[in-house]
Amino acid sequence: MSSTRYPWRDWAYPLIVIGAVLACWQAAVMAGWLRPISFPPPSKLAATFREIVTEGYPEGIGLATHVTITLQRIVLGYSAALALAIPLGLVIGWKPTLDALTDPVIAFGRSVATLSLLPLTVVWFGTGEGAKIFLIGYGCFWVMISNVIAAIKNVDPVLVKAARTMDVSGAALFRRVALPAALPRIFAGARVALGVGFMVIVGAEMIGTIRGLGALIMEARTFYRTDITMVGMAVIGAIGFAMAMGLQRLEAVLMPWQGREARRAT
Amino acid sequence: MTASIAAAGPSRRLLGLIGASCIVILWEASARLLGADAQVLPAPTQAIAAAWRNLSAAELAQHIGWSLWRILAGFALGGLAGVTLGVASGWYAWLARLVRPLVEMLRPIPPLAWIPLAIVWFGLGEPSKIFVIFLGAFFPIFTNAWRGMVSVPPVLLAAARTMDVDGPALLFKVALPAALPDISTGLRVGFGLSFGILVAAELIAAERGMGYLVMQSRQLGQLGVAVFAILLIGIVTLVADSALAALLRRWVGRRMPA
Repeated sequence: MSSTRYPWRDWAYPLIVIGAVLACWQAAVMAGWLRPISFPPPSKLAATFREIVTEGYPEGIGLATHVTITLQRIVLGYSAALALAIPLGLVIGWKPTLDALTDPVIAFGRSVATLSLLPLTVVWFGTGEGAKIFLIGYGCFWVMISNVIAAIKNVDPVLVKAARTMDVSGAALFRRVALPAALPRIFAGARVALGVGFMVIVGAEMIGTIRGLGALIMEARTFYRTDITMVGMAVIGAIGFAMAMGLQRLEAVLMPWQGREARRAT
Repeated sequence: MTASIAAAGPSRRLLGLIGASCIVILWEASARLLGADAQVLPAPTQAIAAAWRNLSAAELAQHIGWSLWRILAGFALGGLAGVTLGVASGWYAWLARLVRPLVEMLRPIPPLAWIPLAIVWFGLGEPSKIFVIFLGAFFPIFTNAWRGMVSVPPVLLAAARTMDVDGPALLFKVALPAALPDISTGLRVGFGLSFGILVAAELIAAERGMGYLVMQSRQLGQLGVAVFAILLIGIVTLVADSALAALLRRWVGRRMPA
């Protein structure tokens, strides 16, 4: 897809297409084909963005506050989940017996829709931060642990056998052979888990809070402010995109031996 | 992976059963012995008993039925749109240039964030829920179908062309089968996502369905029923996902090993 002869095309085409769609949208609203209540035009969205940044919504809570709160919840829940899931997953993936023992439990834990726990977390943690961080942690944990286990289990057996013939075994085999070989898949898991975190946060913030991007998106409904909903969506999409990009960069720095293409394939 | 599981056979399954039972017993014991309140953490037996007392089979079947119908409708639409558009963009470069920027722009937006818009556009009824599930399914399915199509080995296409296979035959008989493994991966990812979204959509705005059952039981103070409903969601998800996996394995058939 990427054209090596004309590198500018890689970013010029998308910009042209998106620009054209936005222009058509604006024109359709101005011509009266789309109702501005349902489809606030881009010009209105830009004004709304300024409004949320300067005046805030709801109750004067500025966009910066919403973003900080949402980010804080995601980072806390996500890092707690990773801190638990990576060591546990490494051990389980390395020991076939442990893997057999825990397999159904992990499959089930992953299948329980994270947000279905929302009503329970309110009982356990109240409506404060704890409930939201727990939900994000829960969602990320199962995705992460199953990826870490799969990463270790799917290490090429030839690598392990080759190392064994060279008298590498036990902890050294794990640390010097299995772990580096499993890293790409572990990173892929971390990226998927981050996506799950973003999905969960919106749902978790839609109930029982007025702070955070999910709340901003949901609260806008009470006054039919579709424009605010759209701005909130754009902001959370941009943050999610930026964080995914950041992880990919980190991956390239930490694992220079992984080719660009191989990273994409996972 | 599937092969190794099959080879390990019954001992693996037995160990799994032991592991699962341990967790259930541990939960039961800690809920009862630690003197915890059934209104905070009901034991599994208490949850089932509460469900038995408060729910009729017909009611339960109705909740499950509504959830499944929403999933099927949203997933079928998302799958159809995602596969068609993804395959077409993988085949025609000009279409990809048109469609992919828009998809890539909308993809990072969590599907749940669309709920308020869906309600404005489609009202509070079924279409708004189906739309959100559709979105959850569409994005991974589109991306995987597109990627599957563009990573079809060029050698395969060139070989077919030397044998005078071209046009629709080249697409449907050569390229599409080669992309099937990726398409089926996308379908499974999309299916898993749409289940999670369904529950959330039912928590936020619904009068029926399994997610609604969780929310309603909690509001009525029947925490046991809520826990039962959560476990039920897990079981239904697991069963539906393995059914889809089995279906895809048969469909994709001998073309892919895993």
